[in-house]
Amino acid sequence: MNQFLAASSRAFQWSSAVASSRAARRVPRGGVPSVIVLVAGAIIVLNYGLLYAGSVFVLSACYAIVTAGMAVQIGFSQQIAFSQSVFFGVGAYGVALLNTHAHLPVLLAGVVMVVAAALVALLLGSVVTRASGLALAVATLMLPLIAVGYVSGTDYLGGPVGSPLSGTLWPGSGSTTLVALGGGLIVVVLLAAVVLIASRILSSDIGLELFVLGVDERTAAALGVRTPRRKLELFVLGCVCAALGGVVYAGTQQFVPETVIDPATELALLIMLFIGGRRSPIGAVIGALVIQYLQGASNWVSVNILIVEGVLLTVVLLVDPEGIAGIASTGIAWLRRKPGPATVPAELGPAELAAAELTGEELAPADLAAVAADAEREAPDETAGRAARDATLLEVRGVFKEYGGLSVLHDVSLALPGRGLFALCGPNGAGKTTLLNVIGGSVPPSAGEVVLAGTDITRRPPHERFYQGISRTFQAVHLIKGRTVLDNVAVACLASHTASIVTRIGRSRLDAARAKAARALADLGMAHLAGREASSLTLETQRMVELARALAPGPRLLLLDEPASGLSEEQRQRLAALLVTLAERTCVLLVEHDLALVAQVSERIFVLSGGRLVFDGGPADFRSSPVVNSLLVGS
Amino acid sequence: MKFGNLLIAGITTGSIYAMFAVCVSVWYRVANILNLAVGDFAMVGALGVDNLYRVKGLPLPVAVITTLVVVAVFAYLYDQVVLRIAQDGRRPIEGIVVTFFFTFALSFFIDGVAKVLFGTDVHAAPTLWGGRALTLGSLNFARAGLLVLACAVIIGGAFWLYIRYTLGGKALEASGENSVGARIVGIDTRQYRRLIFVGTAVIAAVFGIVESPITGFTYLSGATISLTGFLAAAYGGFRKPGRALVAGLFIGVLEAMLGGYVSSEYGDTVLYAILAAAILAWPRALGFESAVSG
Amino acid sequence: MSAAGGDGAAGGTAARAALSVTGLSVAYGNVVAVHDATFAVAEGDACAITGPNGNGKSSILMGVTGMVRRRGEVAIFGTPARNGDVKWAARHGLTLVPERRQLYPELSTADNIVLGCYTWTRSIGKARRSDAYGRAVDLFPELRPHLKQLAGTLSGGQQQMVAIARGLAADPKILAVDEPCLGLAESVAKRVYDVLAQIHAAGTTLIVVEEAPRRALTLCNRRVEVRNGMAGAA
Repeated sequence: MNQFLAASSRAFQWSSAVASSRAARRVPRGGVPSVIVLVAGAIIVLNYGLLYAGSVFVLSACYAIVTAGMAVQIGFSQQIAFSQSVFFGVGAYGVALLNTHAHLPVLLAGVVMVVAAALVALLLGSVVTRASGLALAVATLMLPLIAVGYVSGTDYLGGPVGSPLSGTLWPGSGSTTLVALGGGLIVVVLLAAVVLIASRILSSDIGLELFVLGVDERTAAALGVRTPRRKLELFVLGCVCAALGGVVYAGTQQFVPETVIDPATELALLIMLFIGGRRSPIGAVIGALVIQYLQGASNWVSVNILIVEGVLLTVVLLVDPEGIAGIASTGIAWLRRKPGPATVPAELGPAELAAAELTGEELAPADLAAVAADAEREAPDETAGRAARDATLLEVRGVFKEYGGLSVLHDVSLALPGRGLFALCGPNGAGKTTLLNVIGGSVPPSAGEVVLAGTDITRRPPHERFYQGISRTFQAVHLIKGRTVLDNVAVACLASHTASIVTRIGRSRLDAARAKAARALADLGMAHLAGREASSLTLETQRMVELARALAPGPRLLLLDEPASGLSEEQRQRLAALLVTLAERTCVLLVEHDLALVAQVSERIFVLSGGRLVFDGGPADFRSSPVVNSLLVGS
Repeated sequence: MKFGNLLIAGITTGSIYAMFAVCVSVWYRVANILNLAVGDFAMVGALGVDNLYRVKGLPLPVAVITTLVVVAVFAYLYDQVVLRIAQDGRRPIEGIVVTFFFTFALSFFIDGVAKVLFGTDVHAAPTLWGGRALTLGSLNFARAGLLVLACAVIIGGAFWLYIRYTLGGKALEASGENSVGARIVGIDTRQYRRLIFVGTAVIAAVFGIVESPITGFTYLSGATISLTGFLAAAYGGFRKPGRALVAGLFIGVLEAMLGGYVSSEYGDTVLYAILAAAILAWPRALGFESAVSG
Repeated sequence: MSAAGGDGAAGGTAARAALSVTGLSVAYGNVVAVHDATFAVAEGDACAITGPNGNGKSSILMGVTGMVRRRGEVAIFGTPARNGDVKWAARHGLTLVPERRQLYPELSTADNIVLGCYTWTRSIGKARRSDAYGRAVDLFPELRPHLKQLAGTLSGGQQQMVAIARGLAADPKILAVDEPCLGLAESVAKRVYDVLAQIHAAGTTLIVVEEAPRRALTLCNRRVEVRNGMAGAA
């Protein structure tokens, strides 16, 4: 009966993954928002293009191109870099210079400047994105300050006055109507393209990577996200969008005032982003429109725009931190809500299981094939693993670690074979977690080597080690808040480390990762939790989800930091059974305080004390060792 | 004696940066919010006193006290209305980014109101201690600068004594360190959030009043002041008021030296470039890593 | 619904109820952690709250001490406790030593302990001269050499002792200790339990939340078992 339940719930998971991918196939990812932008924008430009309302629309579309990029970089991935106004200025001033002095047509000058901006951003980004979080924010905060000081003192840029240009965005000459409407349409098309690209990136598997990166960079790295590369890509993406916005701004306004490069522009852009909805490209567009139209709404408003913006931003954020887009999506969800049972069943009841059985038969042959292929790809791995079971998988040679003169690890060496269960014990502060971090790559050793299957990985970053088969859990649970359990596990199944962010504009591999994650969850009997939001679970369940996440990619070496902490006796026994099964396929290294559990399951035990390895032996020796007894049992 | 005079000027502006940096970081410890509106309170202090004294013709002490009371009441109301809904409600708003934007919006709001009340011209509070600069050998001490330094020393010293020698001060420290642990011993962390917010607003206003005769303020000056305080606080990892103080002084002196010896025009540009490079070179040593994870 | 202390006191002891809890529920958002828990602890008892983790043991203490909002009645020595008011509970004798210690890592050990007095005084002099503070420090001779050290640099076991000392500085009649041995080596855990026994012997009512009943029952004479957020005497 239990097997049947498990099978049917697995089927349910697969079918829901398939269903979502089918729904996605009907409407291309990110298609809806960009089509809305395109159609609505074209209508507005064609009808009002020559009027004030139309020109405000074109101006806000210029800013919206920038904010849509910011939604990806700053809102969604939380890489806060204040580089937009600078690159907006680079685009705008560049086009003005090339047009006025080199007589290049605006469109061509625009292409040149966007490419140039990308190159500059690549150079600058490879320096500044080495910083994280607040350091990145503060370091890039200097950019507008430096830029404005430079521009206002530079004559050929027009100094404090600004720089005019004679050309227009619409190539060729024509009537003023044609030039105005044509230029507006070009802006709308570019904006729709940016929204499409942004939405497609965010809904892809790399979008999930970016979300994790935004929540916690270290966890992201441990789960195989190439954090330095992604941060650089995001920075370049943000800068390119900003430069593109600057280009079309110069082309449509035909004048570049010094204020575009002012820090105040940066602030204005951020206000647009946060009022519209920081995580959603379409929200960013809405924000730009709202702010621009507000400024011309009435005389009183335009005089007191600071008060209005301040109050509006406060109120919107109080109602929903996700801005107008967040409010709108809550509203839409509320309108769509069908009368009847709640959307996400906490626990699958008989009715849901019956439903699962029915939908389970709708599995498309193609998806089944994909699943089967997946399974096959794993199978040879396993035989290879069996062949190498007795060869040394992990070798730690003479590792030292010092923190500010304090020796945490002192000449630790150990070797683990390709499969089996090994435990690392020791009193608090003995350096157990540090050793795990050294193996996992999040902490570099002061001296010594870490060798995985014959390859020296001492200097390899954590995300590379993840793809070489090292998977881990954390002492404090690191699940990603705001995402479902399924997505939390899917993060570890992405296999997108070699892919560039650009490739995901084309297609997403998110469904494949989710299907793999659903299987990993089902294997641990947690399929029914797949749709739950991660932080709504109890801490113990979160721990199990984290274990599922560590197992999902099929690691060669599994590092578990106190997996039994906080579990009940019953749960501990189940965990022990699970670990024993796992150890038949992989090498498990366990940090644990529960000595009974350790002695029960592990075939070899290492004891650390004061950073030194003081014991290394089997469970029988472990129980009788005087060193262990005095250290850990205290008799 | 160019160096000596630059040093004096640097220490004077540095002490202002330092005080704003301390205001930012002390409140960040308690409330987990970066306050970008500190400088705007300084602007309101300066322009408010100027308006009441010069335009409305009130006696100077009355003008100063009225301005400070208005600032305090406004800060109190803001905490009671906006921050209470944002942080103490059923769905508290988390995340340093979003909460940062609340003070950002507050800054906009204050600037907008100041524009309506005080106009857009450059003004300054009247000089509290007028007269020629005091000289010692070839060193010049501007009286306004000395007043700023005196205020910095008095307020900073009082704050240090409060932290070091009273249980209330230690409770303040505790709520900055660990808010759950603070609540366990009955510390009302919200009360400290309010107290420090109102307190820093008033201190900022005082500094606006004593500093404005030196530079002059417009309704938009607040952002610049906040920015320098914010930068100095950043070098203390936002969580270490002591380091923020040192960083503020250092930035002030560096700015004066660059202005005096390198280029008066591009001095600030060079200063910002140096500060950015420092963060990128030693993020950990400057305390950024802990600020990110905390 | 206001259950007087006497009604809640189960077990037929003559002693009055130090703590009586009636129909306690605690929820975090949509997640109900404790559902309708009713139990009482008599004065002088050492009561263990046991049960698998994730079943709401800690949430009971959080609700009872007022760290989180609750539904239901809590009475401390017969007086109904105010909801969500930690200081009220502390002033009436109930102090919590929380899970994971919750110290202030960049304050000195002495400051960490003296802040326990914040529940009853604002004067640092009075706090340092008080019996409660003196007793709290004297109970842990091993902390003596570390009083000036930052608490964050202490070992896990020492930190646990600081947390207990801070609880004692509040001069409690009832000390609620949440998972005192979490993450501690066996030998240190033993020392923690020795101290708890000393505190109990000195007349303080103890409530210990412990996942492993074996250890708790070496000390406690009563036990409340929590399963799926429901508490019952066992």
